Amino acid sequence: MKPITIAIASGKGGTGKTLVATNLAVFVARTGVRMTLADCDVEAPNDHLFFDVHPDVSVVEVPIPEVLAGTCPEGCTVCRDTCRFGAIRMLGGGPVVFPDLCHSCGACVDVCPAGMLGERQVRVGQTGAGVVQDGLGLVMGQLDVGQMKAPTVIGATRERAGTEGADVVILDAPPGVACSAVATLHGVDFLVLVTEPTSFGLHDLVLMVELGRELKLPMAVVLNRVGTGVVDVAGYCQSEGIPIIARFPFDREVAACYADGGLLVDGHRLGHQWFSDLWESLREQLASIGSGVPA
Amino acid sequence: MRTLVVASGKGGTGKTTLSAVLVRLVARRRRVVIADCDVEASNLPVALRANVVTRSSFAGNPRAVVDEDFCEGCGDCLDRCRFGALSLSDKGFAVIDPWMCESCGACAQACRVDAISFVPHRAGEILVGKGPTGPIVFGRLRPGEDLSGKLVTSVRERAEGIANERGTDLIVIDGPPGIGCPAIASITGANGVLAVTEPTLSGEHDLRRLVGLAHQLQVPVKVVLNKADLSATGAGRIRAACQELELELVGEVAFDADLPPALEAVAQGEAPPSSLDALTAVRSFQKIWSRLEPWVDG
Repeated sequence: MKPITIAIASGKGGTGKTLVATNLAVFVARTGVRMTLADCDVEAPNDHLFFDVHPDVSVVEVPIPEVLAGTCPEGCTVCRDTCRFGAIRMLGGGPVVFPDLCHSCGACVDVCPAGMLGERQVRVGQTGAGVVQDGLGLVMGQLDVGQMKAPTVIGATRERAGTEGADVVILDAPPGVACSAVATLHGVDFLVLVTEPTSFGLHDLVLMVELGRELKLPMAVVLNRVGTGVVDVAGYCQSEGIPIIARFPFDREVAACYADGGLLVDGHRLGHQWFSDLWESLREQLASIGSGVPA
Repeated sequence: MRTLVVASGKGGTGKTTLSAVLVRLVARRRRVVIADCDVEASNLPVALRANVVTRSSFAGNPRAVVDEDFCEGCGDCLDRCRFGALSLSDKGFAVIDPWMCESCGACAQACRVDAISFVPHRAGEILVGKGPTGPIVFGRLRPGEDLSGKLVTSVRERAEGIANERGTDLIVIDGPPGIGCPAIASITGANGVLAVTEPTLSGEHDLRRLVGLAHQLQVPVKVVLNKADLSATGAGRIRAACQELELELVGEVAFDADLPPALEAVAQGEAPPSSLDALTAVRSFQKIWSRLEPWVDG
């Protein structure tokens, strides 16, 4: 059966996505639900820092055109003219490929009249999958330093997370609202937006809600660090008809627990209750959109 | 012209707050142009209450569209698309999922009847604002668009143009989180990166990745430890990491709950800019800039 996929996202960085995703995954797994946590923040993946896992690593590659032996037909520039990304230039009578600009679409290879273009696989990152505890798996994506193909690595991470046989998959999304966010959120069942009551938090939440609407996703908000700002995020949520399913206070103990790689569900006196309440609210939301959650 | 990038790897370490304080301090003594290169969540204009002066359109990749008057439903385009963006509708026409489409044109190339064409579209805008410290250039990518790296480059070019016109020799960039294409576009060719980190395992992990990227791009890095008092062990790990990576830790800033509201009050005009000087965090920033300035100026 296809798992229910819940993405934990935010426009602004550092609002508490990882805190919510890791603790929720552990809490839910303890209730007997088979759970996979997938870290899709492939530029800054941090979920694994909270667990002792030994991941089975798999390489993520993209095909990049390469020039095979042969001679270009006199004056032919078809490959360069076909590429919409400017990734091919003609230098010294033949094509030169600029891998950073290439989108691996294969159009140039198909179009070459001399059959001179082939493809080679180029590594852009990796995925890892490991068992955290009985019923909880972690899949992590990691973009190689200096590489640009984050969405490709995210796609590979989601694909791998989908094959782990879980009932529920939680995706820890990257910050932002562009291609990496789309690669993570496209086609998920539910979107949880983590924000904070500051002018930055609200500004970026508005953008994220716009993206969620365009992707036609049901949404709810977790308001984190209540007490750090006085901006009326709740008023905005109400006017948009988006439920707030949890409120976590700003608390130095939370910050200290997180700082050292601890989980709130174990290391904070209120952690278990917070995530129990959050899961309860989230299950109600899922039920209201017709996604049956295993009891 | 010198360019300093404030970056972090991990989001939420305090890049924008630190940038807002830094440019206010810098602007007291010299002219500066700001570029907010977090085009997916540009918060520095919010922090500085900048008024938008000019805006210009930023073009996205042209969008592929299917003309159903011509499409014969042969499915050749489906086979050629590597991104799974094409399917056949109930009526037997090719349908493009704009979220999956990369605008590469392979489908149009495969189409025997030229039923797929490309139409221009707007992906965002480049804005120039006037703030309390002078010009601020920023980008606004429409949610869901790609090309954030290209928009970052456009924002930087505009900032450089303005700096040249005004004879300003310093650009401060508030960078995006992460180390992917927007971060690469922000850091490439800059004179220095000020890496803002926090005393958490995540902060250290992402700092290491950012430093790796900056080294690849041959841009030198200095580090500031923000919210330093939130974890003593975490702060110790950051200091050790700096030593190991041979990076100068130019300063440590304690978590200061009074800073965001104080910045807000100044931005709103409810308090004079000089009111910031009493804050411990701001005094730390003053020391940090006095260490950074000669380095940035080369």
